Amino acid sequence: MTWHTFFDFSTMSHRHLVFVYVGVWIVQGSYLAWMLRQWTRTKAPHA
Amino acid sequence: MSRPSTLRNLAWLWFAATIAILMFAFRQAIFLVPTEATMGNLQRIFYYHLPHAVLGLVFPYVNFVASLAFLYWRRRDPLKALSADALAVASAEVTVLFVGIGLASGMLWGKPAWGIWWAWDARLTTYLLLWLLYVSYLLLRRFIPSSQTSTLSAVLSVFAAIDVPIVFMSIRWWRTQHPAPVFGGNGSLDPSFYPAVLWNLGGWLMWGIFILLFRFALERRRQLAEQEAALQAIEASLETPQ
Repeated sequence: MTWHTFFDFSTMSHRHLVFVYVGVWIVQGSYLAWMLRQWTRTKAPHA
Repeated sequence: MSRPSTLRNLAWLWFAATIAILMFAFRQAIFLVPTEATMGNLQRIFYYHLPHAVLGLVFPYVNFVASLAFLYWRRRDPLKALSADALAVASAEVTVLFVGIGLASGMLWGKPAWGIWWAWDARLTTYLLLWLLYVSYLLLRRFIPSSQTSTLSAVLSVFAAIDVPIVFMSIRWWRTQHPAPVFGGNGSLDPSFYPAVLWNLGGWLMWGIFILLFRFALERRRQLAEQEAALQAIEASLETPQ
């Protein structure tokens, strides 16, 4: 498989393959981004 | 070097190694392993589906152990109980994330492979139930503001964990639409696919550990900020002139 055939949207199988690989990164990345945002908005405890 | 900065450096190192392994695993899964004979390129979904589905059965046990620790320590050592509670909420969130992705990627595979999005077979149904149990766990924590919420959610978690071995054994106990076990079962995987499976399993395990510990650290930070705010409020009320 090549990048060209990876992004081939002509069949449902190919579309779903891309949806899974891209979707997983988007969901996991969004969760990490949400945690980073909460981290910066939560006051650090005094040592 | 102070301890927090050492931990931060270790976290960055772990994160960088995780991303590198996931990139390598992606290359294995998409470009290097051979195309499966019957399903073609659709089978490559398996390399992302399997790690999420498997890890979705591991993190509930972290939640289970943390909840038991919370129940044990809640009267004996409240500070340790708070840490256990933070680990419980972190692992419950990560469970919902991984099981959710396992379900969604399975459905995206099922539609082109079986012609249906969903089948109410034992594996899929018990796995959906697992996801719903941990969603209800998080909703309980979020929307029931009570001093007993942590205890109630810990008890719920103990019951939720019972579903995990049922999910695991479902494809052995019952005939299901879901394929048989790919390691040591009837649906044995060809060894040529092992590199993609193992690198992705390892990479997503490292990712899962990273986000679990980060979420735990965030919850501890939130707990400590709450404690400080409560102490400041008490001190302020004591300083109020009579």
